[in-house]
Amino acid sequence: MLNFRYILLTIFLFLGPMLTAQDHMAVLSGKVIDSADGYPIVGAAVMTQDSKYGVVTDLDGVFELRIPAEPYEILVSCIGYDDVVMFFNGKNKSAFSKIVMKVNATQLDDVVVTGVYERKKESFTGASATFKTDQLKSVGSANVLQSLKTLDPSFKMMESTQFGSNPNMMPDIEIRGKTSVVGLKEEYGTDPNQPLFILDGFETTLETIMNLNMNRVASVTILKDAASTAIYGSKASNGVVVVETKAPSRGRLQLSYKGDFGLSLADLSDYNLMNSREKLDFEILAGVYKDKSGNPFAQVRLDNLRNERLKEIERGVDTYWLSEPVRPGFTHKHNIYAEGGEDKIRYGIGLSYGNVGGVMKESDRQTLEGNVDLIYRTGKFQFSNKLTINWLDTTNPTVSFAEYAYANPYYRKYGKDGVIEKYLYYPEEGVEDYPVANPLWNAHLNNWDMSSGFGFTNNFIFEWFVLEELRMRAKFGITKQDDDEQTRLSPLHSQFDDLGETEKGLYTHTQIKDLSYEGDVSVTYGKLIAKKHMINAVAGFNFSSDKMQVYGYSANGFTDDQFDAPSFANGYPSGDKPDYNESLKRAASFYINGGYAYSDRYLLDFNYRLDGASMFGTGNRFRNTWSVGLGWNIHKEPFMKDNEFFSLLKLRSSVGNPGNQNFSAYQAFSTYKFNGWMTNIFGAGVILNALGNTDLAWQETTNYDVGVDLTFWGERINITADYYWKDTDPLLAVITTPGSMGVTSVAMNAGSQKTRGWEAALRISPIYRPSEGINWNLSVNAVSVRSRYADIGDSFSALNESGKTSLYGTTRYYDGGSPTAIWAVRSAGIDPATGKELFITKDGTYSFTYDIDDEVVVGDTQPKIEGLFGTMLYFKGLSVSCYFRYRWGGQLFNTSLFQKVENIGTEDVYNNQDRRALYDRWSETNREAYFKGISMVQKTEKSSRFVMDDNAVIGESFNIGYEFPDRIVRRMHMGALNVQLTMTDVFRATTVRVERGIDYPFARSVTLAVGVTF
Amino acid sequence: MKRIVIIFFIIFISLSCTAWLDVKPYDKISEDELFSKEDGFLKHLNGIYIELNRDMLYGSTLTVEMLEIMGGSYVIGTDNSIWGNYKDLAEYNYGTQYWRARMNETWNKAYSLILNCNLLLENLEKTSVRFTGENYKLIKGEALALRAMLHFDMLRLFGPVISRNPHQKSIPYYKEYTLTPNDLLAASEVAQEITNDLLEARILLANDPIREGAVTGNRNLRLNYYAVAALLARTNLYFGDKESAYYYSTEVIRAADEGVFPFVDRSLVTGSPEDPDRIFSSEVIFALSHSQRNTLFKNYYDPSRIPNYVFRMDNSLMSNLIFGGGAMTGGNQDDYRYRVNWVATGSNRYYYKYADMNDTGSIVNTMIPMIRLGEMYLIAAESVSDDLDGGLYYVNKLRAARGVAALPSLTQENLQYEYIRELYSEGQIFFMYKRMFSRILRSVNEKENPQPSDALFVVPLPDSETEN
Repeated sequence: MLNFRYILLTIFLFLGPMLTAQDHMAVLSGKVIDSADGYPIVGAAVMTQDSKYGVVTDLDGVFELRIPAEPYEILVSCIGYDDVVMFFNGKNKSAFSKIVMKVNATQLDDVVVTGVYERKKESFTGASATFKTDQLKSVGSANVLQSLKTLDPSFKMMESTQFGSNPNMMPDIEIRGKTSVVGLKEEYGTDPNQPLFILDGFETTLETIMNLNMNRVASVTILKDAASTAIYGSKASNGVVVVETKAPSRGRLQLSYKGDFGLSLADLSDYNLMNSREKLDFEILAGVYKDKSGNPFAQVRLDNLRNERLKEIERGVDTYWLSEPVRPGFTHKHNIYAEGGEDKIRYGIGLSYGNVGGVMKESDRQTLEGNVDLIYRTGKFQFSNKLTINWLDTTNPTVSFAEYAYANPYYRKYGKDGVIEKYLYYPEEGVEDYPVANPLWNAHLNNWDMSSGFGFTNNFIFEWFVLEELRMRAKFGITKQDDDEQTRLSPLHSQFDDLGETEKGLYTHTQIKDLSYEGDVSVTYGKLIAKKHMINAVAGFNFSSDKMQVYGYSANGFTDDQFDAPSFANGYPSGDKPDYNESLKRAASFYINGGYAYSDRYLLDFNYRLDGASMFGTGNRFRNTWSVGLGWNIHKEPFMKDNEFFSLLKLRSSVGNPGNQNFSAYQAFSTYKFNGWMTNIFGAGVILNALGNTDLAWQETTNYDVGVDLTFWGERINITADYYWKDTDPLLAVITTPGSMGVTSVAMNAGSQKTRGWEAALRISPIYRPSEGINWNLSVNAVSVRSRYADIGDSFSALNESGKTSLYGTTRYYDGGSPTAIWAVRSAGIDPATGKELFITKDGTYSFTYDIDDEVVVGDTQPKIEGLFGTMLYFKGLSVSCYFRYRWGGQLFNTSLFQKVENIGTEDVYNNQDRRALYDRWSETNREAYFKGISMVQKTEKSSRFVMDDNAVIGESFNIGYEFPDRIVRRMHMGALNVQLTMTDVFRATTVRVERGIDYPFARSVTLAVGVTF
Repeated sequence: MKRIVIIFFIIFISLSCTAWLDVKPYDKISEDELFSKEDGFLKHLNGIYIELNRDMLYGSTLTVEMLEIMGGSYVIGTDNSIWGNYKDLAEYNYGTQYWRARMNETWNKAYSLILNCNLLLENLEKTSVRFTGENYKLIKGEALALRAMLHFDMLRLFGPVISRNPHQKSIPYYKEYTLTPNDLLAASEVAQEITNDLLEARILLANDPIREGAVTGNRNLRLNYYAVAALLARTNLYFGDKESAYYYSTEVIRAADEGVFPFVDRSLVTGSPEDPDRIFSSEVIFALSHSQRNTLFKNYYDPSRIPNYVFRMDNSLMSNLIFGGGAMTGGNQDDYRYRVNWVATGSNRYYYKYADMNDTGSIVNTMIPMIRLGEMYLIAAESVSDDLDGGLYYVNKLRAARGVAALPSLTQENLQYEYIRELYSEGQIFFMYKRMFSRILRSVNEKENPQPSDALFVVPLPDSETEN
């Protein structure tokens, strides 16, 4: 309601000066200041209660209001502050010289922005969390999502063991766990568990959010349960992240600059590789220098080889290869924003530039973003337009980190004269042995892997304030994004050793063109009837379309390392053809949302949405989504009226059935292609390309949530807790079928997945003195989630079979089984007498024979409980905070032990290995060992011996910030100045040691952020 | 007024919505688009015929390569470095990783084409397209016959020896497009389905242009009316219904006598002509058209390949039984089939059946024979009466056309020799042994010939079928 009042006010303010030109005028002048810090409040409205006269405070918080010298009630209001009402009796002008306003605790922070409508948090029944830019910036400045991860534990950013902190890799993200079967991403390239992202009311991509300069963000809201997400219908079952960018504020032209300067260092502490002497010892024990055929000449050669290496070690060769590809990564980001305007027109022009330097050499990500925001308001109409133009340039290293981790420490990096040699070891003529390539060789060549992108987004919104309580809105947004990826491998690359001269070198070019648009028309109604019945309603129609085209080709046959233009290629790889892929997805929906509150005590929300999408079969094209939410504000009950203790005590619950449409565009219908390999006398032929399933049903998640919100003891203690359960039924999965069906896999609906979880957050402020600007917070939160499959029968038997036969596969799909369970045969350890592994069969007996059918659940990668705890101290402009992540009760299958300690095959033995491969191995003299004896031929099967408890505490974010006081800033001719120093991923204490960041290491970083307003 | 406008607006939006959501892919051909014209049906049918030429089907596996090795047609050495996986196959060791993968490929491809046939049939059923002339019936008949033929060959390969275990579970029979896997049927049930499909195809093809007395419009590259009759002869003999086998084989023979499939012109094959018609193309009732057919020769039979790694018949088998041995065996070096196709290089003779004729543009150079007149004579001979001698008439008529003397009497061995002479390298010989449950003739030395057994004749169902 306040918003409407405020908007009306601004209209009158505009008219105000005309009306004030009268006689007998009194002039009220003074300054409006903040009760907490005494700073002037800019843009506060000071007006008569009848709204006839009014003005807005200027940059110094000063106002001058001319009114007839008669008694008036004067209302002072400003967004974010409690209204102040003062009485002017025609004389007491001096009372207005200093007006103190108090920050409204339940206002700006507590508005839920869903992207379709806004609702006061107090009267909203959904489970959601809103974070403002300051909060986001106080835990990190990398990007919005990184910060969200630290602020809300139900928002999970999956750590990629493979790709580490590669700035050009998009992370996998989940809100409240997975709802879809793993494995679809591999099939379709889209992550079916990814939440929906909304930017300024329009659907957008993960990458756009990742690229968005954090300084442009005003707030981020995570919508978690059905009551809050159902307005997005069949796209919402994975949760919704709503990002709002800042709107230009009125006033005289204001210029602000925000800069981030960061330094990242590679975190290699999880690598536990052998040094040169250990590696040679290991090789000797593994029998590398023993000729199996018993040929004396061959044995002499091997002895010489060993002695040669030993000599090098004696000379002190112990190369640390891991330091080669890494570097300190420097990051700098800048954002300039100019904003201003008056009531009719407001404008904002911004320019952002960012250069993120990864911790590996040749790993960069540059973004440039320009934006123009315009708001024009006349009478009952408002037009606003946001235009963003972005440019992106990335480079990636061409040699993966793993290749350096493989290189043996007893080789020198450089040959004689400091030359980089192609091979670290090349077998003599006639010796059957593998050559060992030098990672530095491929890295020093003129190889590249880069991409660039250019795009724009234009979002236009038209609003018509028909009545005070009725508003109509039409939106149209269009996004065009073109990306271009190019890779080039030099002809000297060791990969081409076996190819003919004219086939060496490779160039690939991929072009991705994407055009999407979205339109929306809606009507919003909000009115308080008889001071008791608050009614809110939104109804609308939405349509969207996304068309993506991918073009690609490759060329080969470069003759020179240096000259790398594609025009120097000799031709195309034989049999290669140009790639072309197109996908067009369309959706159209009607939606309605309603909210009813009775005296702010009893709350009801409902949503209904009818969705149609082109991805789904003609038999199942439309789908209904509904949700109902109920809430009870106990603290507003009459019997609590005298209670000063609780400022918020709310119970809420919701149920609904949001769906998921993160699926490929054409899986519902059959498509055909030309059998291009042959034609005959009858001409061309056409054959089935992909079999569609017209009966494919939408994946749907029935979502229940009960929660409580508590604030008490003078706002010092704040608790939010939720219990939820989700039932995804049916699941959509790609199922392998018997060959006789004519296709080997088909997208089908199969079974269901049931998830249960709870989340709780507690914040205590032992010292809470907002008026003095002193505040000390302690916070802790926790989430726990458990899922299991039901009714899947043996739909996934093929996946189970291939998991059983694969070397690492520990995931199985059985009814009642958890999607994150680790399946393996139980191990009783290594038998001291024989050195063989002793297994425990299904019925509990011991056996030396490994039988995959004895496998049981031996762990779960999902922790029993995880979350964050932290503290924040705010003392007159100085803020210090630290946040720690913890997890407890999960397990993981230690692939480092499985692969780099045991299971080292004949080829792997030439790579450097985990140090533990040498120690704690069984032998005649060390019988009580955890690992089997050293052997190159023995295959180790996956057993519970490699499953370890994964409990951890991580120093995720440390921050110190200072907001310079007004007088200093003023002396420097600035409006505001603040600095912040943030450290992320400072330390990790874990119970399990496993290599992380296989292809790209993880990073620890320090960032200095500076914000200046002029 | 306002209300009416709103109602119209809503109706307009909901109607246009459904149409707007109907997205047609651009980089692929959608089903609706393909089958919106007669041409689309013809293209899809042609696509299926083209796919039959794939290596995992009749492009080599089910004709010159795998099946012929199983039928003992070639000398397979023991040196692993040369013969690799062929050695395992010659020992009927189907369980190796390589052969399991190959069986998977063949099975999956055959059934994917069956699915294509079913999709074509389903679209024929519901289409409103008007077809020219007999096309609707021809397309439908051929699709049914293709479906039957592919099932039949899968049954012959993976099913039981039908004379011994007719009710054993064999393969599934797919008659419609479905997303639920069909159960395995007993061999006898599959036989019934195959027969039904072929009979229906025969009725649909009754007005096939080929019945006007000559091969026109390349109907011999399609499952024409007579090809379906010939398939019925082949399938009925395999299923043990001799009466039907005789009926259909003689129907084709009569048509051949009337000039539809004349015996090859002797001037084209004897007297060392410049350019012999090595596949006796005029006698082929149904052939595939493979644009690179000469790769069959180059990949398998060309004497210039690595020494010894060439498919050829055992020397003594050739000189003592198949093309030698006199009246006892019926083998004779005057046999056209010997004179044209077996050319000496060094001490061995090499097989030239799939070598190109000089006329490079000729359609004959693309033909992979799938069913030929000679087989009809042999089927008639085998099925005319219970007594083999009763079939002498047909055997000798065929022999006369091959330029060799009549046989005085007919034994099973003699009959097998005739099959080998006539159908060598066409993927039928292994199935003949399986049908007769007889030893596989690989050598003149009986001890070296594999004895009949289920382990030898019944290839286990592929992993892709049993594991999913």
